[in-house]
Amino acid sequence: MSPNTTSASYEVLSPWAEADPMPFRGISPRLDALAGKKIGLLTNSKRAAAPTMQVLKRRLTEKFPSVEFTEFANLKPNEVITEHAGKDEFENWVKGVDAVISAFGD
Amino acid sequence: MYDSIVIEDRKKPTVTLVNKGFVSDTQSASRGKGMPGLRSIPTAIPCEASMMEDIEAGVDAAFDDIVTALTKPLTREEEAPRPKEAEKPTRIIFKGNLEEMIRFFYKRGWTDGLPVIPPTEEAVAEMLKGTDLPPDHLLGKLESRMGKATVEKIAVNAVMAGALPTYMPVLIAATKLLLESERGFMGFTTFGFSTGSWAPFWIINGPVRNEICVNNGSGALSPGNIANAAIGRAMGLIIKNIGGVRKGVEDMGVMGNPMKYSMVIAENEEESPWEPLHVEYGYSKEESTVTVSYPQSYLQHWPYGSDGEGILRSVVDNLPRSMRYTLIFTPTHAKNMAREGWTKEDIKEFICEFARMPGSRINRMPPIGTANPGPYGRKISIRDTDTVPTVRDPRFIRIIVAGGPGAFIAHVVGGGATPGMKQTQKIELPKDWDKLVKKHRDLVPTYAKY
Repeated sequence: MSPNTTSASYEVLSPWAEADPMPFRGISPRLDALAGKKIGLLTNSKRAAAPTMQVLKRRLTEKFPSVEFTEFANLKPNEVITEHAGKDEFENWVKGVDAVISAFGD
Repeated sequence: MYDSIVIEDRKKPTVTLVNKGFVSDTQSASRGKGMPGLRSIPTAIPCEASMMEDIEAGVDAAFDDIVTALTKPLTREEEAPRPKEAEKPTRIIFKGNLEEMIRFFYKRGWTDGLPVIPPTEEAVAEMLKGTDLPPDHLLGKLESRMGKATVEKIAVNAVMAGALPTYMPVLIAATKLLLESERGFMGFTTFGFSTGSWAPFWIINGPVRNEICVNNGSGALSPGNIANAAIGRAMGLIIKNIGGVRKGVEDMGVMGNPMKYSMVIAENEEESPWEPLHVEYGYSKEESTVTVSYPQSYLQHWPYGSDGEGILRSVVDNLPRSMRYTLIFTPTHAKNMAREGWTKEDIKEFICEFARMPGSRINRMPPIGTANPGPYGRKISIRDTDTVPTVRDPRFIRIIVAGGPGAFIAHVVGGGATPGMKQTQKIELPKDWDKLVKKHRDLVPTYAKY
């Protein structure tokens, strides 16, 4: 850059938009142990999500034989599960689990 | 990721497996939704490209962390995170010389990599002459950051992009299009962020095209015209600086897309034998509009001949599989086809019927969610020997007329709105529009003869 272009001084406005701060909230208390619990396995529509969960389910079963599993897939890409028609089914599913492992296949 | 937050809100502990390349995206998403402590495990999997042996190894490597994430008691910060400090944005953000200012903006990720014009108070005030809306007028909050899209912020980004005040009405309308885009798979919340590297493609119709000199002739999509270049560039900066959609953080496009620098065209309505795109979409010819789609790819080809047979046979032979299509025909090709009686609707129907692919290709593609389940929702099996339409709904095809003399046809291929959802926005002009146009319309390149 030539000296001529660097001599002038510019006072400039910010292009970065304001945003209302989102109040932070905590996450849920953890389980004391996995044994005897019902674990939900949640996947999305992407290619690797379901096979990842199948492998994980096998590994967890080997280590924690008393764990039960229930699976749910949100197959609507980029749609939050509570914002589409599968909402009620999802809510019932969540009620029946002690914890959830999610794998999103991106 | 958002689904995990929903589950945590229902008092159930979660852990989320994310590919290590998505760690920044995950953190941005969880903070953006107010849950910074969401537990996730960066892994080599899951990833769309993972093979089974990699998945097995990835799960084994992450196994202990997964168990720990579900059982290790919460830290105080995870249980009750400290409130996020409110941003105290300074309106005047920097003072310095040109080089310092450009570097300051670049280092904050506020540019597209190219030098920007300093958005000084004076330059922004001049830009604001392009609208009657007050600077603090809030159009809405733009995903993903829910940044406040005020008229002044649009003007600041417009100055940076090198826009003229006469582009403000287009930029305001285009921002409204993003704000009012359908939520979910077929809207900006997918196409602005997706691994698919979709780029916004803006089509301008109506009288404003000529008043602000948007090129629709030779090289319409090439660099060299300020309107085509600066409008798309400004929208890219608006998406980044108001929406907070940054490459590799929120915009997770795998390959990226050079069309994200700018992809703007006007339709050559004067030379078209058909009704313009915006009239087809229900606006009057006297109204001006901007229409958006989100292509991934741009391809051009020669026709087999200059008549409808030669043009349209080549179109169906070159049509790639995708979701939405904009076909750009030159005025000459359009007139040749119209003379034979082809309407835009005829052309769309012909493409839907004759652009076909082997069933074997469908059978090898996994269904990508319920939004794209495959023909007939896979309730019937497709035989490898069947042929199936490449495009199943003529409303997924747009036809516009643009380009210079010659014989090439362009396909702009990718995503776009669901038919019936928001895809076009009327452009509102300020009351002193004619005066403003008069001031700026002579700014056109005059090439020296040699």
